[in-house]
Amino acid sequence: MRTVRRLPLVLGMVVVGFAVLVAIFGPALVAHDAFTQNLAHRFVPPEWLAGGSPAHPFGTDQLGRDYLARLVLGVRISLMIGLTAVVLSGLIGTTLGVLGGYFGGWVDAVVMFIVSCRLAIPIILVALTVVFLVGSSLTVVMLTIGLLLWERFAVVSRSATRQVASRDYVAAAWCAGCSRRWIVLGEILPNIVHHLIVVATVDMAIAILLAAALSFLGLGVPPPMPDLGLMIAEAKDYMFFKPWVIEIPGLALFALVLGINLLGDGLRDLLGGESGG
Amino acid sequence: MSAAIEANGVSAVFNQRAGTFGVRRRVVAVDDVSLTVPEGMALGIVGESGCGKSTFARLLLGLLAPSGGDVRVGGQVLQAMDRQARARLIQPVFQDPASSLNPRRRVGEIVALPLRAAGVARSERRERALSMLSRVGLTPEMATRYPGQLSGGQRQRVAIARALVLEPRILICDEPTSALDVSVQAQILNLLAELRASFNLTLVMISHNLAVVEHVADEIAIMYLGRVVERGAAESVFAAPHHPYTKALLASVLTPEPGLGLPDLPLGEAVPDPANIPAGCRFHPRCPVAIPRCATEAPARGDVECHLVQSVPT
Amino acid sequence: MSPVLEVRDLRVRFGSMAAVRGIDLAIERGQTHCLVGESGCGKSVSALAVMRLLPRGAKREAGAIRFAGEDIARLPERAMRRLRGDRMAMIFQEPMTSLNPAYTIGSQMTEVLRAHRGMGRAAAVERAEAMLTRVGVSAPGMRLGQYPHQLSGGLRQRVMIATALLCEPDLLVADEPTTALDVTVQVGILKLLADLKRDLGLAMLLITHDLGVVARIADVVSVMYAGEIVEHAPVGQLFAEPLHPYTRGLLRAIPVPGKVRRGEKLATIPGIVPRTEVGFRGCAFRDRCEFATQECAEPVAERVEGAHHWRCRLASGWLEAA
Ligand SMILES: Nc1ncnc2c1ncn2[C@@H]1O[C@H](COP(=O)(O)OP(=O)(O)OP(=O)(O)O)[C@@H](O)[C@H]1O
Ligand SMILES: Nc1ncnc2c1ncn2[C@@H]1O[C@H](COP(=O)(O)OP(=O)(O)O)[C@@H](O)[C@H]1O
Ligand code: SF4
Ligand code: SF4
Ligand SMILES: [Mg+2]
Ligand SMILES: [Mg+2]
Repeated sequence: MRTVRRLPLVLGMVVVGFAVLVAIFGPALVAHDAFTQNLAHRFVPPEWLAGGSPAHPFGTDQLGRDYLARLVLGVRISLMIGLTAVVLSGLIGTTLGVLGGYFGGWVDAVVMFIVSCRLAIPIILVALTVVFLVGSSLTVVMLTIGLLLWERFAVVSRSATRQVASRDYVAAAWCAGCSRRWIVLGEILPNIVHHLIVVATVDMAIAILLAAALSFLGLGVPPPMPDLGLMIAEAKDYMFFKPWVIEIPGLALFALVLGINLLGDGLRDLLGGESGG
Repeated sequence: MSAAIEANGVSAVFNQRAGTFGVRRRVVAVDDVSLTVPEGMALGIVGESGCGKSTFARLLLGLLAPSGGDVRVGGQVLQAMDRQARARLIQPVFQDPASSLNPRRRVGEIVALPLRAAGVARSERRERALSMLSRVGLTPEMATRYPGQLSGGQRQRVAIARALVLEPRILICDEPTSALDVSVQAQILNLLAELRASFNLTLVMISHNLAVVEHVADEIAIMYLGRVVERGAAESVFAAPHHPYTKALLASVLTPEPGLGLPDLPLGEAVPDPANIPAGCRFHPRCPVAIPRCATEAPARGDVECHLVQSVPT
Repeated sequence: MSPVLEVRDLRVRFGSMAAVRGIDLAIERGQTHCLVGESGCGKSVSALAVMRLLPRGAKREAGAIRFAGEDIARLPERAMRRLRGDRMAMIFQEPMTSLNPAYTIGSQMTEVLRAHRGMGRAAAVERAEAMLTRVGVSAPGMRLGQYPHQLSGGLRQRVMIATALLCEPDLLVADEPTTALDVTVQVGILKLLADLKRDLGLAMLLITHDLGVVARIADVVSVMYAGEIVEHAPVGQLFAEPLHPYTRGLLRAIPVPGKVRRGEKLATIPGIVPRTEVGFRGCAFRDRCEFATQECAEPVAERVEGAHHWRCRLASGWLEAA
C-alpha cells in the first residue's frame, strides 16, 4: 500500500536522478564528439537495429554525428534551461507573492495587478518576438523563459503566505520582537517552501517543453547545439524513413518531463504535512 | 500602584466585504473600551464567542493598531514603541497550541526566538532557553523535538516558556486552556499561577470559561458585543453580579453538582452581531429585565453599564 | 423492562490502535446515559459504532449491539439505513456536518419524512413546522425556507435536533451537542434535550467531556478512559462517591466557582492519556495513577457493588483506607 503510493516519487527520482547524472558526466563519457560530422556515416541505425554498429550505440544523424553524444548533450542543455528558468522565475514569483500575501492591502493589489498583466501576455509570442529581435542564444532562451514563467510561483506563494501569516506563531514571532524580514524569511518561507518545490517541478517541465517548442520553430537554441527540441526538429524531415531519429530524442524528452512531473507529485504528497520532523 | 497596561478608549473596526461585490459590513469588534490593569494584578476578561475578546487581546499586544484610542504600557504608547522594548514588556500565550508554534522549528529554537530577536549571544540563548524549559516542567531532551511530536499540554508549556524567556512584565493569555483536556487544563493553570508569582507578572487572562477566570483573576471584566459591560473585583462580581448579562453568564455555569438540574435562563435568543449593534443598550434584545428606555438610550459609561444599576462612572 | 439499547463487549480498532476496547452499555426508555471522557478516549467512535456509521479504516470486532431486542450488529446496510433517522437518530457537535449547506432547512426536514414515512408534501411541511416550534425555533415557517448558513450556531443545533426527532425515534445519540456553543446557549439546548427526553420517552446517549453537563442532565454515567469504561454508576452515586482514581482525579481537577480559592492549587492528574495498541494489558491509567502497583499491569476485573461498576484493583472504601 505504502510502496504503491510512493511509486511515482521513486520513479520520478530515478528518472530525474539519472538525467542529472547523464547531464553532468555523460558528455565526458561518450566516446564521440557531438559536433564532429562524418558524411560517410550518415543515418547509421542504432546498435539494436539491423545494420547498427557498437561504435555508435544510438546511431548517427543526417550529418553523421554520433546520436548518443548529441542526446547526452541535449539532456544537459534542456536541464540547464529548465533549472535556470525555474530559479529565475522562482525568485521573481516568490518575492512578489510573499510580499503581496504578507503585507496585503495596496501591496497585494499591486502584486495582483502585475500578475494579471503577466497572464495577459502570451508567452510563446513574446518569446518568439524577443528571440527574433535580439537573436537566439542559450542565454536568451533561458532568460526569456525565466522572466515569463513566474506567475504560478506568485499565485501559489501568495495564497500560501496568506494562510501561514494568519497562524498564531507568526503573531508570536512579531510579539517576540522579530523584524518583518525575519518573520518573512524565518517563519513564513520555511512553511510555504513545500508548495514552492511542487510549483518548481511543474514549471521546470513547462520550461523544458517551451524551450523545445522554440527550438522546433527554429527560434530556440541555435544549431549546432543539440537541445532535445532541436533534435526533434532536425529529425522531422526524415521521420518516415528513419523513425528512430525522432523516436530517440522524443522518448528522452517525454521521459524527462514525465519524471519531473512524477517527482513533483510525489513531493507534494510527501511534504504536504506540517509535521516538520 | 501604577498601571502596567491601560487601554484608553480603544476601538477595533473591520471593514468587511462579503465576496467581491457583496455589501460592505462595518464590524465593530471592540467599541471604545477603557481598562487599566495595575502592576502585578490579574485581570480576567469573559464573554461569549465573537464578543471581541481575542481582538482586544490583539490590541493589547500591539498586533492590531486601534481604530481609535490608544494602549499604553508602562505609560508609553504601545504603537510608538520599538519592537525590542515592546517584546521585553509584554508577551502572549495563544489559545491553540497547535497553531502557535512554528511546525518547522525545534522546541529549543522556538523558546530562544525572543532572545535571538533581542540580540542575545548564541551560548547564552541556549542556556536561558533550557532553563526556561525546565521552569515550565519540560525536560532538556524536549528542546530537540518538533512541536508535532508533543502533546497539547506540552505545546502550551513551550508557548509559555517562549513568552517568559525575556522575563516580560505582562502576559496576555487568550484562552490558554480551552483547547486542552480538563486534567491538562489544571496543570497549565497551576503553572501559570506559580510563574505569575515568581516572575511578578501582570496577567490578562481571557476565557469564555468563568470558572477558569475565577480561579486566576483578581479583577473581572465582562464583555458583550465589543464593550465591557461590567467590571470589578473578582469576588464582588461573582458574589453579587449587577449587570443582567453577568447574572445570566453566572447562572449558566454548570458546576458538577448533580441534583441541581438545569438553571432557568430567561435570555432572549437574538444573535449578537457586531456588524449590526442594536441601538440603545446593546443587550436589550436579549435582556430579561429591559425597560422601554433601553431600546433607545445607551446606558452611561461606568463599572456597570445598565440603566437599572447606579454605578461609579469611569 | 428490557433496555432500548444494549451493547456488549464492543471493540473498534484503527489498524493496530485499539480505540474502543470492549465496552458495555445499556440504556432504558426515558433514561439519559452520559458517556464522559477526555478527548481521544473513544467516545465518538463508540457512538458511531452503535449507529453503524464508522469511518473507513475502522474495524469493529465481535460485540453485540441490541436495539429494541434485535441484534443490529450484523444487520444489512439497507435495513440499517431504514432504522437510522427513523427509530434511532444521531446529532453531532458541528451541525454543519449533517445539515447539507445546499438545501433549505425545509427540504431537508421534509425529505426525512417522505423517505421514512412516505408523507405527502403538505403533511410533511406541517409536521416539520410543528417540530421546529417544539424545539423552540421562532417563526418556523420562515426558517423552513432558509439555508443552514443563515442560522446561528444555537439555532442550527435546534434544527438538527428537530430533524433527528421528526420520526419519533426510540434512541437519540448526541455527540457533544453543545461543545461548540456559548454557555448561555448551551443551557437552552440541554434543557430542550431534557424536556424532549421526558415528553417523548426517548432513550438518550449523550456524549460530552464536561462533567458539569453530566451532573445536570444524566441519569446514568459511564466514564471512559483510553477506550474502556472505567466507571459506571447512577449520577448521584458517581459524584458523591467516585470509586475509580481517574474519575476522582478528574472531578478534583475542575475549577468550580466558589470551591477552590484563588492562589490555591488545583488538583492535577500528571501526564497524558496513553495510546493503546491492540493487545494492551492491564489498567491504562497506571502511568498516571498515584495508587498504581505491580498488580495494575495485569488485567483488572470489573468490580460491582449494586448499580456501581468500576474497573480498578481497589475495592470500595479504599479512600478511607488510604
Ligand atoms: N480581521 C477581521 N476582519 C473582520 N472581522 C473580524 C476580524 N477579526 C475579528 N473580527 C470580528 O470581530 C468580532 C470579535 O472577534 P474576536 O475574535 O475578538 O472574538 P472572541 O471574543 O475572541 O471570540 P471567541 O470566543 O470565539 O474566540 C467577531 O465578530 C469577528 O468576526
Ligand atoms: N478515522 C480515524 N482514523 C484513525 N484513528 C481514528 C479515527 N477516528 C478516531 N480515531 C482515533 O480513535 C480514538 C478515539 O477517538 P474518538 O472516539 O473520536 O475520541 P473522543 O472521545 O474525543 O470522541 C482517538 O485516539 C482517535 O485518534
Ligand atoms: S440597560 Fe436595559 S437592556 Fe441594558 S442591561 Fe440594563 S436593563 Fe437590560
Ligand atoms: S487499577 Fe491500579 S492503576 Fe488502575 S486505577 Fe486502579 S489503582 Fe490505579
Ligand atoms: Mg477568541
Ligand atoms: Mg469526539
